[in-house]
Amino acid sequence: MKKLTGILSIALFLVFILTPAVNAADLPKVIKIGGQGITSGSKADYGHQMILGAQIAVEEINNSGGILGSKVEMKFMDSELKAAVATKNARYLVKDWGAHFLFGIDSSGISMALAAIMPQLDRILIICHGATHKLNEEAIYKKGLRNTFRMCVPTYQDGILPAMIFKDRPDIKTIASLAAAYSYGYDSWEMFEKTLKKYRPDIEVVAKAEAPFLHMDFTPQLNALMAAKPNLILATPWGGEGLMMLRQAILLGLFEQPWFKVWFQCMGGSIDMAEGLTPDVKAGKFHGKLWGTARYLWNWPDTPRNKAFVAKFRDKFGRFPNYSAANVYTAIYAFKQAVEQTKSLDTQKLIKALEGMKIQAPDGERWIRPEDHQACYTVPAGNYVYDKSVCPNAFLGNLVVVPWKKYFRNPPDYKLP
Amino acid sequence: MDNFIFQALNGLSSAMFLWLVAAGLTVAFGVCGILNIAHGSLYMMGAYFAFTSFQILGLNFWLSIVFALIGVGIIGFLMERFFLRRIYAQPIEFQLILTFAFILVFDNLTKMIWGTMLIIPTMPSLFQGTIPIVGRPFPIYNLFIIGAGIGVAVGLWLIMERTWWGKKLRAAASEREMANAIGINIPALFTAAFVFAALLAAIGGALSTPIRVCDSGVGGAVIIPAFVVTVIGGLGSLKGAFVGALIIGVISSLCTLYIPFIELFILYLIMAVVLIIRPQGLFGGER
Repeated sequence: MKKLTGILSIALFLVFILTPAVNAADLPKVIKIGGQGITSGSKADYGHQMILGAQIAVEEINNSGGILGSKVEMKFMDSELKAAVATKNARYLVKDWGAHFLFGIDSSGISMALAAIMPQLDRILIICHGATHKLNEEAIYKKGLRNTFRMCVPTYQDGILPAMIFKDRPDIKTIASLAAAYSYGYDSWEMFEKTLKKYRPDIEVVAKAEAPFLHMDFTPQLNALMAAKPNLILATPWGGEGLMMLRQAILLGLFEQPWFKVWFQCMGGSIDMAEGLTPDVKAGKFHGKLWGTARYLWNWPDTPRNKAFVAKFRDKFGRFPNYSAANVYTAIYAFKQAVEQTKSLDTQKLIKALEGMKIQAPDGERWIRPEDHQACYTVPAGNYVYDKSVCPNAFLGNLVVVPWKKYFRNPPDYKLP
Repeated sequence: MDNFIFQALNGLSSAMFLWLVAAGLTVAFGVCGILNIAHGSLYMMGAYFAFTSFQILGLNFWLSIVFALIGVGIIGFLMERFFLRRIYAQPIEFQLILTFAFILVFDNLTKMIWGTMLIIPTMPSLFQGTIPIVGRPFPIYNLFIIGAGIGVAVGLWLIMERTWWGKKLRAAASEREMANAIGINIPALFTAAFVFAALLAAIGGALSTPIRVCDSGVGGAVIIPAFVVTVIGGLGSLKGAFVGALIIGVISSLCTLYIPFIELFILYLIMAVVLIIRPQGLFGGER
């Protein structure tokens, strides 16, 4: 009897010390996460993909017992790509609906606007698409708006990476810009030009054109650039606008010109563009000159983890995951990891937990840099190929992998590499 | 000089796209007095119908345009007959609210039917390729658009000026009560005029598909410049809409080449200048 009592005592002691001091009972039964992105208009697919990525994450988490026993409930709203709407949505999600965590956001401008109000809302926001470097370098690092994090690569990807890739191409001597006429377009081009000129002072900028948001006819811009015969064009209009622009460039015969070598479509690797570009890539209209990158590529890295994510996404939704889906998926898991680590929904504790966190994304480990809350990870660039045995759509192939450490700017001085 | 000519030609093709949208907007306002801000949605539906028939049903390019015309014509008829007709006597705010509601309905309808994926069909083989103009490749399709725009302008002029139906439309537009008094069936005429305006939107949408993405927000994107064009030309004036489209298309295009920093707001600058000098628009008051 004494022996049995002793065993029971040891067992109870072990249960006591192994049980977290604060368990699921101290968290609400339902943890609410609120997302927003663009789900209307020509860029609606980005928000739609965010919803799909979030659905997978929420389903997986709930099927495996939730976050410390608490179920996760998600609400997603259309930001309409307007800062005023996104701000109103954020306030509604937190104040009225009771969100414990916010994620999403497609635009640089909205990212900056929300970063400013998150301390008042006393919640964490993880940006999954908005790319301006001003968010991590100025808003978070310099101004200390520390409630906001970013799970996607910033404009270093759009500007510095292509410069690092094409600096070694001797056939590129003249460059031109076709910029989206807002922060993202200007920032990307500035980084590209400065980085490239640092390595190749001989390179000449021969033309610049820009197009406002919701632009449809790019032929005047394309003609203006073609008149200057650049070897490389860096283009930032994205989504439907990017697709129209490339179709119009084909029609103008740009890709047939012997002097033209590379079109770098900054977010050309997004799924909506890949789907739209497929007939033209298949027909060889780009002559291998169309390059691009993204904020996650479904076909890189070739790891079981990434393959499993892509397979699950395809099985469930019949499409390939875009970067907005993968980044939202990862952001929700980062939040889960932070809650599990702190066993709390206290914003300050969660911020501490996220700073320096290493999180397993479908494409591998991402490290959240503590100083500026920027997720650091590598995304390659490549040129468009079509291979039916790999994918029914065109995709970025012949990938060039440059580790993020070589092209990310770093605090405190954020110099070019 | 070669660059100037080439860029002006590009501006002309941009202008024709603007004109095709602005023409329908002008007919709806000029005849029915409807400021239809959902006109861009009719353009969008034309594009979706053309895409569906060309890319999915496999009809040829010309039949896909006919398909788009039929589809949008039916939508236009239903809009006018069951909704717009009820608010002709109401203040213009009612028109704006009702037609704005149509934008939301059509945007969501297209998302439900066609999804959020970007749609751009292949270029019909007839229009693939370029022809050299001043030593540079100019797309055959853009030349076709210039021809189509001019063709629509001539056709409209003939209909309005040389047909009995056109005369009735002009009569109803300038003096509705008098036209009614002499036996013109105004409700039927308005329905026909609105459907006619919808058909013009459908032509614009259908012709846009090979070079412009079809998506659920395209209606909103096309309507703003089209409104600017109609304001510059004078609300309700077809001649004004044509000239306004030419001015905006060609000047914007040339600014892109020579003074790119001004290109982003040249549209509104021209409108502001025209409104200061001639508040009724270039051809305002003329029908």
